[in-house]
Amino acid sequence: MKNKLILFWVIITLVITATVVIFTKPTKLGLDLVGGSRLVLEANPTNAQVTPDMMSSLQFAIENRVNKLGVAETVVQRSGDKRLIVEIPDVSDLEQAKAYLGETAELDFRKPVMKDGMPEWEATDLTGKDLTRANLSTNSQNGQWVVDLEFNGAGTKKFADLTKQLVGQPMAIFFNGELQSAPVIREAITGGRAQISGGDSGFAYEEAKKMVDLLNAGALPVPAKIVEENTVGPTLGADSIAKSKVAGAVGLGFVMLFMALYYRAPGLIADVALIIYGIFLFALFKAIPITLTLAGIAGFILSIGMAVDANILIFERTKEELKAGRTLFTAINSGFDRAFTSIFDSNMTTIITCAILYCCGTSVVKGFALTLAVGVIVSMFSAITITRNFMHLIFGTGKLVHPEWFGLKKSEINEGFQSVETSREKAKFGILD
Amino acid sequence: MKFKLDIVKYRFLFLLLSAILLLPGIVAMIYSTVTYPTHTPLKVGIDYTGGTTLQYGLKESITNDKLADVRAKLEQGGIENPYLQIINVNSQESTDLKAILSIRTKFIDEGSADQNNITNIVGQEFQSPELVQVSSVGPTMGSELFKNSLIALSLALLGIIAYLTFRFQFDYALAAILGLLHDALFVIGMFSIFGLLYDVQIDGLFVTALLTVIGFSVHDTIVVFDRVRENLKYYSKKMTFSEIMNSSIQQTLARSINTSLTTLITLTALYFFGGVTTKDFVLAMILGIAIGTYSSIFFCSVLVDIWEDKKKSTKTAAAA
Repeated sequence: MKNKLILFWVIITLVITATVVIFTKPTKLGLDLVGGSRLVLEANPTNAQVTPDMMSSLQFAIENRVNKLGVAETVVQRSGDKRLIVEIPDVSDLEQAKAYLGETAELDFRKPVMKDGMPEWEATDLTGKDLTRANLSTNSQNGQWVVDLEFNGAGTKKFADLTKQLVGQPMAIFFNGELQSAPVIREAITGGRAQISGGDSGFAYEEAKKMVDLLNAGALPVPAKIVEENTVGPTLGADSIAKSKVAGAVGLGFVMLFMALYYRAPGLIADVALIIYGIFLFALFKAIPITLTLAGIAGFILSIGMAVDANILIFERTKEELKAGRTLFTAINSGFDRAFTSIFDSNMTTIITCAILYCCGTSVVKGFALTLAVGVIVSMFSAITITRNFMHLIFGTGKLVHPEWFGLKKSEINEGFQSVETSREKAKFGILD
Repeated sequence: MKFKLDIVKYRFLFLLLSAILLLPGIVAMIYSTVTYPTHTPLKVGIDYTGGTTLQYGLKESITNDKLADVRAKLEQGGIENPYLQIINVNSQESTDLKAILSIRTKFIDEGSADQNNITNIVGQEFQSPELVQVSSVGPTMGSELFKNSLIALSLALLGIIAYLTFRFQFDYALAAILGLLHDALFVIGMFSIFGLLYDVQIDGLFVTALLTVIGFSVHDTIVVFDRVRENLKYYSKKMTFSEIMNSSIQQTLARSINTSLTTLITLTALYFFGGVTTKDFVLAMILGIAIGTYSSIFFCSVLVDIWEDKKKSTKTAAAA
């Protein structure tokens, strides 16, 4: 009993903390729900015509970039022949996004040649396209920020050939046409790795980080610039969202009413647990933070359904145990215990699915997977820990005096499907035959 | 037990019922793929195809009620599934425009009857709107993005198979996956029919709705299978597999119905009182949850039972 009281106070403390988080942190809502900023990018190639192919690869590169930069839930859309519309939710740092979107991010390696008696850099065929990825790290000797490069198969070969050819000479690394560093090659490098140091002064952290992000997102196939900037309302229409909010609340109200009417006392307890669940989840969404879109809310609704389901599973089992003539204490215990495997397995499957969808999915799928996974994890805690704790505290270890509190008739007791336990389970549930 | 629900006895009848439920949808999907110019089994909306955006500059700000009015009038006027969005004008430019109403719909030509129709409707609602821009926009859910989502989903299915094989048996995993495909196919089929009959177009949200349906379907099936697993542990010597299957379904029946009922309550409220733009999304989920409950009771369990019988008969044949 003492442990149960401690747990009770832990739950209350968590609820208070979560409530504070809800009132202090802002809610992050996606473009479809609150709108955001709208940037129009125009491709302006220096020498060529803009072709549809060029626009497709530009769109792909921009999408890649906004995803890599962690600008959540962004819409990238073609408009006309040479424009892209990029819509960014309110929550993201617009200035940062703008700074990133216009950068071409061209990396290339050049070799020294003598032209008319003057030393010059000549382009080679080794560029940013030959990279598998870039990483941020520090130089072990002077502690400065550096960018580590990893080449792909073709890149490794090109880099080995180039360095072999340039032993004893400098090789220059250019980023967006600017010389970054020009180290002297001592021997051929065949390992497929290189490093860019920021020259004598070194890189500032932001500078190196930005370069890494841009290199990993890939270069823009054509230079593009931002030509228009506006704020926009929600894509789903402000009118629809206002209505859906009310409808959602009405729906949840009905669910709680149903639980209380059908399962009586435990149903009421589950309702309280459900409210606590909602508070926890909302606080987590704000604390992480997760940008909520309609897809995310779908995940949220499904996780509420699963949380209710966990309670229903438990109560149905408890009812069965009561029908079999068990005392309240053992019925509650075995009800929880027997329902646990099904709750665990179904939720684990959901979590595995969400993890895979989150890793390889696109932004819509990602938002859904993230909220559902968080929701399911919290629901395991709320259904099992909170509901069980409340049930034990309220009903204690007593006998079943009021079967109607559980939605049972007196005549139904001892009529149910007889459960069988192993002696180990009997000890666990506290059954005394 | 007083009331006996003998599902196993009529198992082939239930498989037939599943086939009857799925067949019209499949026919509609094939018919649509052949006849639609997009060659897709569903009528796809502008999220997949792209369309035209008309932007009207307004001298007044737009309220939610006004937005709903315009949407309703556009739909009455034959403009299918318009996307309405408010663009606020940043005031640094010296214009008297307060806001821009952006209307996104299917591809329409500049100066066509459709465009005049939209302009007229907007003109009825607002004082002297000015058409500031007409531009074509590409899909937000392009084929590349759609393909990526499908790949992610296939990987997720493999993950489910692996986990369920580990916790149950391969048979159960396969039945759960077939159940999930059964449910997804039903929902897609129904929307294919709606597309043919009522011109319902699917939007980007449809993918999310399908994911939700799939998630629910597997969840629901596992609960039934869990009961089978538990009963097998205690009664496998006293009862036949079919009897165990029957009583497992019966024991989980109240739970199955109550769970989908609670989810359906929320969704029905959203369908009737919620926003217009999410109606089809909610409808897809309602259909999916209903069929998901059906399939975990009458489809997945029946499959496992049939396979179990087959195994037994091959075993006895081998012994003889």
